[in-house]
Amino acid sequence: MHHANHFYGHAHVMAEYCGLDPEHPPRINGYLQHGWNVVDGLGAGTPYVPGRPIFVWSEQTRRRSWSMGRRQATVVGAPFLYLLTLATPSDEPVERSGTIWYPFHGWEGQHIKGDHQRLVDEILETEDGPVTFCLYWHEYRNDRVRAEYEKAGRVICHGYRGYMWRDTTREFLHNQLAELRKHKRVASNRLSSAIFHGVAAGCEPAVYGDPMYLDKEDRPTAERVRRDWPELHGKHLDLAAARATAMAELGEGYLASPAELRAMFGWTAYLPTAVAA
Amino acid sequence: MIGGEMPAFVEDDPAAGGALFAYLVDQLPAGGQVLIAGPHDDALVDAVAARSSVTCLVRSQPKANELDARGVEVLCGTLSKITDVERYDVVVALDGLGRLCSAEGPQYDWAESLQALKKALRPGGTLLLAVENELGVHRLVDLASATSAQGDGAWLPLGEFDTKPGNPTRLAGGLAAEGLAVDWLATAWPSPAAPTLIATPNALQDGPVDALAAVTAGAVGKAYADRAVLSDPRRLAAAAVRGGLGSEFAAAWLVVAHRAPRPASTVSLPSVLLGDGPVIEIAPGLDGDWQRRVIRQAPGRDLSTLNGPLPAGRLLEELLLGAALRHDLPMLRRLLSGWIAALPEATPDNVVVHQDSPSEDVYRLLDPTLPAQTDVLRRFAQTLLGGGYAHPWPAATDLQTLTSILHGAAGLPDTVPAVEPGDEPPLPDSRREHEEQLRALRRQLADAASRSEWYERELDRREKQLRKRDKELDRARLQISAFSGTVSYRVAKLGVSVARKARNQIRKGLS
Repeated sequence: MHHANHFYGHAHVMAEYCGLDPEHPPRINGYLQHGWNVVDGLGAGTPYVPGRPIFVWSEQTRRRSWSMGRRQATVVGAPFLYLLTLATPSDEPVERSGTIWYPFHGWEGQHIKGDHQRLVDEILETEDGPVTFCLYWHEYRNDRVRAEYEKAGRVICHGYRGYMWRDTTREFLHNQLAELRKHKRVASNRLSSAIFHGVAAGCEPAVYGDPMYLDKEDRPTAERVRRDWPELHGKHLDLAAARATAMAELGEGYLASPAELRAMFGWTAYLPTAVAA
Repeated sequence: MIGGEMPAFVEDDPAAGGALFAYLVDQLPAGGQVLIAGPHDDALVDAVAARSSVTCLVRSQPKANELDARGVEVLCGTLSKITDVERYDVVVALDGLGRLCSAEGPQYDWAESLQALKKALRPGGTLLLAVENELGVHRLVDLASATSAQGDGAWLPLGEFDTKPGNPTRLAGGLAAEGLAVDWLATAWPSPAAPTLIATPNALQDGPVDALAAVTAGAVGKAYADRAVLSDPRRLAAAAVRGGLGSEFAAAWLVVAHRAPRPASTVSLPSVLLGDGPVIEIAPGLDGDWQRRVIRQAPGRDLSTLNGPLPAGRLLEELLLGAALRHDLPMLRRLLSGWIAALPEATPDNVVVHQDSPSEDVYRLLDPTLPAQTDVLRRFAQTLLGGGYAHPWPAATDLQTLTSILHGAAGLPDTVPAVEPGDEPPLPDSRREHEEQLRALRRQLADAASRSEWYERELDRREKQLRKRDKELDRARLQISAFSGTVSYRVAKLGVSVARKARNQIRKGLS
């Protein structure tokens, strides 16, 4: 339905889980939540077509979505958790080390750069082991920004999330999982999908440092996130509490069977005969 | 003829009767004089007559003639004309007190009618009486209003404006005021005239509440299977019993009372009776569990599987609906797959689930004598959609899709055969459900309308893009012809291919 369904190769992961061709996922009959958010599950500005389901990650998101007027939300859990069911245990590295750090993306310009340097300093002060910086595509492509980070550690990028069904790095989530599994900690200056994914992949989470507000950002929302999930903010967290919350936000326990998902997504007809039998 | 008889009148509403009433009258002391006051069906009269000497009081002369022809002693006329004083050992009034006065003469209210019947009772005599509950489940779901009844017998359609007692406590009080002491009181379901479930308030309060709520819902559901109602009587009955309001919502109350002095032998009646032909007793066993026992067989029906402990637990249908309303997907999936693995041919209104430990659910048939059903998941999908219940898949608004999802959630393949229109499982004919369906259809229609507007806008946008790309393509073609055969030609050819690819991409996005 919407091109956001293909972001980060989500539709591809779901197709593989459902026993369909992961190279060519059929159109999902609805909207798949493409990232953790504190609104109705859809990204801001997603043109919502009435009567179509929103497939959200968690029951809490569904309740919030309902309260915001979305009547068609169904909880399916995060695609990342589906990916985990597909990734074999042998993919797990023998030893984890260091921290994978996801700087909040979207700052550019001179005055942010100063803050940014302070952030890097704080990271290096906090983290014991080596730090891998994971940048979003548009920062990664920017040689100047990339160079800044390369001074402090290894710099990677999981790939391009895709736009209008094109150029999606189908292996985005796979790349992220492989990287997360190499690290002991996952951290960011903002609570985001990457932190939740990191927890699911077995990393210790941390959220600290200058949150780096955007120019026109809705500050109350960002502040609400800190109030609602204090257990996920800090340099060294209560891991049991952090994990419980993170897994609930990803919809742990709510994953549907391939058959149920196919029926929900309108994919039953795409089922290869062999699987149907 | 005692006076006040109605020469041509025939009762239009059915007389009191049925297997359970027949069982009750059989428990009365034998051998005495019995007055059967008001319309009771022939089988009931015969049952009493087999053990005692019977006199019937009826206002309809044709009925009186019929009874007389069958050798039954009859008092034909109106209640106020009875002159028998302290004559009867037992008075049976299972039709209530509303059809004892004819159109002629005084119109006694409930208390006056009771007084008149009591006078006919000997000291130490027993009264077996039914009192309809004007706020009973049968009234609450009825499309028609009792106060606008149009039958020939409804010359005073009082309905809830009548003065009869409105709950068991007041009923006992009313009887005590006439010097009648209550020996036994029970609730009757689903209709006052022919109950198929009789349960004492104690059983409903302290017995296996969940299982009894399921039994009550079953009794009510059966009675209303083919009747139009305001709302689903099964939900109302089950919610009432579960909520401790069984007595308040029962269709009628039954009492056995005696006039002082206390008779030597009092009537002993069970806590719960069930049956529409056969009679089944549900009573506390020795170890605190409740046992079911067939105490009266029905010809041609093997009910031996009913004997034994009453399956404990909550009705599966209610658990499923509860989990759906709570959007508790893990529980819903657990119940669906547990049910389909254990009892794939039982509808959820005939399965009780005992959830003792979190990991172990025990699924049992409530009534093992009911025939097996196919397509039970489709039936449950129909219940969800038809009843307008909130559930975790709100976008699945058609039966086929929701059935397919339920199959998936139950651990079955999602490929389910299509069902021809008209062959869908039946829906209860309930006004509230109709209203919900109408609302749902309006919502879907509005959604579909704005969806088609969205598609039109999208088409428009893509169309404009296509035209723009076509123009670019035309320009590129011109350049090709201008630079044909040269190096520039090859470059231009590349340009065309890029433009074509872009156009195809847009078309692909549209499909």
